[in-house]
Amino acid sequence: MDGMTPETMKILANAIVLGASALGAGTAMIAGLGPGIGEGFCGGKAVEAIGRQPEASGAITRTMIIGDALAETTGLYALVIALLLMYANPLLGKLM
Amino acid sequence: MPTALMLASEGGITVNGPLVVADNLFGIPGFKLTESIIVQWVVIAILFVVVLVITRNLKVIPETKKQMAAEWIVSFFVDTVDTTMGKKYNKYRCYIMALFCFIMIQNLMGLLGLRNPTADVSVTGTLAVITFCMVQYNKGKTGKFKGFMKSFIEPLPFMLPFNIIGEFANPLALALRLFGNMIAGTVINALIYFALGKLAILIPAIASLYFDIFSAVMQAYIFIMLSMSYISSADCEG
Repeated sequence: MDGMTPETMKILANAIVLGASALGAGTAMIAGLGPGIGEGFCGGKAVEAIGRQPEASGAITRTMIIGDALAETTGLYALVIALLLMYANPLLGKLM
Repeated sequence: MPTALMLASEGGITVNGPLVVADNLFGIPGFKLTESIIVQWVVIAILFVVVLVITRNLKVIPETKKQMAAEWIVSFFVDTVDTTMGKKYNKYRCYIMALFCFIMIQNLMGLLGLRNPTADVSVTGTLAVITFCMVQYNKGKTGKFKGFMKSFIEPLPFMLPFNIIGEFANPLALALRLFGNMIAGTVINALIYFALGKLAILIPAIASLYFDIFSAVMQAYIFIMLSMSYISSADCEG
């Protein structure tokens, strides 16, 4: 590219990496859909189960909380990746 | 500013890890004293004082409200461990209760404006490693050497790599779950404070109610429930 000093090129490269990282962080959080659906199913089924058997509500709630926690895991992996991209970006170090 | 974690500089916001109070302690390179460790000392002191106060002058028939509260807490954990792990594992009661109290007070430290020690992956990782060691110990104890080795090739020998990965995935997920929930609360609170600026009056309190109180107690409960089910399902007899 003519008319560009090496400093400008470096700034441009950094800007591209930062912008792409921000987009990547946002895109990673689309994974929040999965846990949302899973937890919704979990809660709905628990309500059905309690409606059918109100005396077992304690055990059902306990099981539901564990199920929710497990459904959340994939969302948290995405969150960790998004946080890494935003606050501890590993890609910036690879420039030059 | 509620936490030492966020430094709102000109027009931008950054979320830092825990502050490093002292580096290279005793001349050992990389041996750090971080904010998480100091807050954990505070948590340990709080727990120590509470337990000392609550267990003084115990009577056979409870007279004071203090003793009734103590008995309620203990019987809650006895019931939880018995229903989740079975009577066989009743010696884990003390550990589970200590773990719950420790994690819960750590999570609630956000209310005092301190950084949650659990929003540091090294703290939650340590707790998950303890659970991992207990799982392996319980496997070895119930199955002896043969059962321990056999548990990796069940149900079929070609499942060996998947079983080994699964063995390490459990504590990893356990650590990341607690860490992720706590750091998400901290980051969202920081963003709310940053967005509202000087108008931060009511909305941060509502967010804090969810992230600092509800989520804190819930994640501590989930951590002990999952630890208990991992330990008790590592039974490889028969």
